[in-house]
Amino acid sequence: MRCKLLAFLLVMGLTLPAAAGENPGFKGGAFDPPRPAPDFTLKGSNGSELRLSRYRGKVVALGFGYTFCPDVCPTTLADLAQVRKRLGAAANQLQVVYVTVDPERDSPERLRAYLGAFDKTFVGATGTAEELARVRKAYGISAVKKTFEGTSAAYLVHHSSFIYLIDPMGNLRIMLPFGRSVDDAVHDVKMLLKR
Amino acid sequence: MTAVNDVQSGGPDDGKVRVEGAWARQAPMMKGDSMAGSGNGAVYLTIVNTGGAPDALLSASSDVAATVEVHESYQESGMMMMRPVPKLGVPAGGKLEMKPGGYHLMLLNLKRQLKAGQVVNLTLVFEKAGRLAVKAKVK
Repeated sequence: MRCKLLAFLLVMGLTLPAAAGENPGFKGGAFDPPRPAPDFTLKGSNGSELRLSRYRGKVVALGFGYTFCPDVCPTTLADLAQVRKRLGAAANQLQVVYVTVDPERDSPERLRAYLGAFDKTFVGATGTAEELARVRKAYGISAVKKTFEGTSAAYLVHHSSFIYLIDPMGNLRIMLPFGRSVDDAVHDVKMLLKR
Repeated sequence: MTAVNDVQSGGPDDGKVRVEGAWARQAPMMKGDSMAGSGNGAVYLTIVNTGGAPDALLSASSDVAATVEVHESYQESGMMMMRPVPKLGVPAGGKLEMKPGGYHLMLLNLKRQLKAGQVVNLTLVFEKAGRLAVKAKVK
């Protein structure tokens, strides 16, 4: 009897409930299977050491950028500030960590002033060029300094601009490319907080 | 919701543009040091060319920044990049929309913090239409 039922279901294109691991419908790119987010220790904009794994228990939105960035980074940070607003009571469960790609200019104080304008809970991270390069490598982030003719900006930094979402257990779960909507980010953060 | 400026240029006959929806991203002004400036900002707006000939945005200035430049953000090789645009064309009877992740007016070396609700004054200089005063709302 049971074999016939099974056959019937399969023919109808239905599947029996699968084990956990079926696509739960994230909006961003999902890491499947999840893997531990590489831990790092850098200098935090709050004046103390910033160790990523200290934020376990919360969802971490990890981004990379610099304070002299006029367009892409402020857009990303403004969007993340919006995400926190939309989470309401759950906002305290989301920690934004922003790692600089421009340590020459981005001191901890500068990062704090810059990030604080978007949201007082955002934390920035800086360090030596080598430390930061190691973290970027671990996360597949590229950054290139660029000087130009035709601008009075000292230099610009071209950089990967996606956001990683790390779950409360410290696993890399989602990648949100630049330009993904606040709605999508809120959706995915809520899903990660549920589990 | 967007601040409509509808400011028309009073330039020579062969140029007629107006600007709509100008807004500035809120930005802190940070303490400058030897290498760094005080911080940068961005203004976004739409240029509408109602004239019969193409026009181009050549330059801009503002009372809130030492320099204003036209830049374009774009993506290449997995990275977001930016480049200065010396001359930004607006087709005859067409429009040019500046928005986050694309064209924008970069405000270099802010002279003051930009807080939501404030107004930033800019002057845009067009090849044909000449000078155009614009007000951008900070948000």
